[in-house]
Amino acid sequence: MIGWEWPPSHSGGLGVHCFELCKELTKMGHRVTFLSPFPGPYTPVDGVAFRCPADEPEEPYPGAYAIGGSPGSWHEGDIEHFNAWIAAFPIDDHQVIHVHDWFGTVGATELARRSGRSLVMTVHSTEYDRSLGNPWREILARERFGIVRADRVIAVSEHLKRQLVDRYAAPPDKIRVIYNAVRPSERLAALSGSTRIVLYLGRLAAMKGVDTFLRAAARVATREPHPLFVVAGEGPEFGRLLILAAHLGLADRVLFLGKVTEEERITLLASSSVFVLPSVVEPFGIAAAEAMAAGIPAIVSKTSGVAEITDSVFTVDFWDIDEFASRISELLEYPALRRAMGEAGRRSMSREGWEERALQTVGVYFELVSGARK
Amino acid sequence: MKVVLYLHLHQPWRLARFRYLDLGSGRPYIDEARNLDIFRGIADRCYRPTLARLADALDTDPDFRFSLSVTGTYLEQAARVAPDVLQTLRRIVRTGRVALLSETYYHSLAFLLPPPELRDEVELHRAALQREFGVRPTVLRMTELAYSDALARFAEAERFRGMLVEGWEGILRGNPPTHVYCAAPAPTVMLLARHYMLSDDVGFRFSSKQWSEYPLTAEKYVRWISATPGEVVNLFMDFETFGEHHPASSGILEFLSALPRTVRSTTGLAWATVEEAVNLPPRESLSAPTTVSWADQNRDLGAWLGNDLQRSAFEAAKKVGILARKAEDAEILETWRKLLTSDHFYYMYVGGHGADAGVHQYFSSYGSPYDAYANYMNALMDLRRRALERISG
Repeated sequence: MIGWEWPPSHSGGLGVHCFELCKELTKMGHRVTFLSPFPGPYTPVDGVAFRCPADEPEEPYPGAYAIGGSPGSWHEGDIEHFNAWIAAFPIDDHQVIHVHDWFGTVGATELARRSGRSLVMTVHSTEYDRSLGNPWREILARERFGIVRADRVIAVSEHLKRQLVDRYAAPPDKIRVIYNAVRPSERLAALSGSTRIVLYLGRLAAMKGVDTFLRAAARVATREPHPLFVVAGEGPEFGRLLILAAHLGLADRVLFLGKVTEEERITLLASSSVFVLPSVVEPFGIAAAEAMAAGIPAIVSKTSGVAEITDSVFTVDFWDIDEFASRISELLEYPALRRAMGEAGRRSMSREGWEERALQTVGVYFELVSGARK
Repeated sequence: MKVVLYLHLHQPWRLARFRYLDLGSGRPYIDEARNLDIFRGIADRCYRPTLARLADALDTDPDFRFSLSVTGTYLEQAARVAPDVLQTLRRIVRTGRVALLSETYYHSLAFLLPPPELRDEVELHRAALQREFGVRPTVLRMTELAYSDALARFAEAERFRGMLVEGWEGILRGNPPTHVYCAAPAPTVMLLARHYMLSDDVGFRFSSKQWSEYPLTAEKYVRWISATPGEVVNLFMDFETFGEHHPASSGILEFLSALPRTVRSTTGLAWATVEEAVNLPPRESLSAPTTVSWADQNRDLGAWLGNDLQRSAFEAAKKVGILARKAEDAEILETWRKLLTSDHFYYMYVGGHGADAGVHQYFSSYGSPYDAYANYMNALMDLRRRALERISG
């Protein structure tokens, strides 16, 4: 499996997805070699072996240099180096090559060709979405390359699948929709619902629409008793959002927590009344799904993939600040609504476990492995 | 045996999206244009073609007769966008072979409120029927065919001769729905029990290709009726059965057209209106300590007040009602009554799975019951604010 982030240093859905998927795959008896561009640390999982270019004692690739640091400090040369390293990776008894998103598609495709193995690509989001319609050509090309060459493409929602068909001309019959899932959070349900905290938890990236969260907050914040708005997460938009909050007069109404640990995440979910995910684009939205699993009613933008698997969520056009503000107020003001939606959301998410998703993924692997034997 | 066909005509005033931020904005709660659009569509598919066939049957068949209930909110909308539908209704009522029934003007849950409200709303409806049709009904049907001992006493006090009830085992207790009964606590009130098997054969199953009896012909249906022992078969259904729930392409309108002559040509069967049927001698007295309705598998009030959202909204509406009366402002009281229309609570039903959930979703004008609740509460809270302003002068 060729990935990107892995706990503990993950910032988005892809890292959670790879981690939870590998945990379930190994429980079923499969073994995974996880190729990552970063030297770790990796939260260990039995049955998963980690490799990265920096492991190599010597430098077998001409022009290559040591890779370190974090995703933020990457250069184009690093991408090429990583892909060259993947392409040359010694295939053992691996049956399927599975690449996540665009980063390693070129190397993975070459590795699959060289070894005669099938290639699966999971698309978690597209460059169009991440860049809000101004894709970086280099990334777009690598993304398209993987989508075209992979034997099967897994999309994390129907909405994303339609995009792959419309924008990348991917043949629909090779795309499988496998949703993200949620980690069990029984412990949370018991604690939630006692405060007036409105939570955003996620990366502070342009596609997440955190502006909308702050602008909606400004329209709700004046009501008594004052709710507290919490922004948890880090990202390139941090500075701009901080200034926006001050500009909106929200200095004492919004709390920026920065990056939160797993324990802090659980505490936050346990003490929040409403979860808001106002993304401009959101192929799935694990954070909202996990908040719902914790019994917190969620408001998500209409395009969010998670809205495909439950009705117990408010959906709003991502640009509609008044509607976000109204939905937040309604959940704060009407306790019967908060309880009913929280409970219904928790129930609907309890059916969405990672084990089921791993089984579906293995189903895709088997389509290919059994097809190759024929 | 008498065959009683009774059809129910109703359209609610659905709410517009009224956001929490709209509180105090003076925006209307009701999206009239949208409601009237819906009405126009159903008028084309259902009201006009079905009324035309019923009118034809009345013209060509002197024995054909049936019964209708028309809510006040339906009359308001018809007057706005389909005056021809009102004309046809007036014309068929003038034949003297179409009986109208009393109910609440707003198709409301007023029967669950303290006394004066129900009487006021039934009186409003009576006045509307008097004005539109020059008729004063003698039979009462309550919203969603709700019935209880308390309602029987109300009907008696209001001098009604009969009420409609669901022919449900819970109330019939082993008796067939094909007799006329009287209300145990109010013996002057006759009860006509809906034959839900035969009614739902048309109302729910007619166009279902999975149904073993599909396709249903008038001949087959009338054979079933005539094979049913008893004095009266009560076929009570939604008017929109014809052309709306079952589209014209299903053959439902031809089925309806064929019914009158098929009944006439069958020995032992004769049409009757509800007013005629309540003249039949009652067999037994029935009691209903709790309320029964014609909805869902449980035939209770679960469709409107079964979950916390619905109960919380209804309790809030009750409280606002006290203020709305105190405010002594006709517009505020009228708006509050429109908010008591049962449909609003029906939209807050949290389905899950099964046949009932499908039916609820079909009728809902919202994406989810949570939408329905939040929107309703916003409108109600705004009305509460207006009533309080008026009271404090």
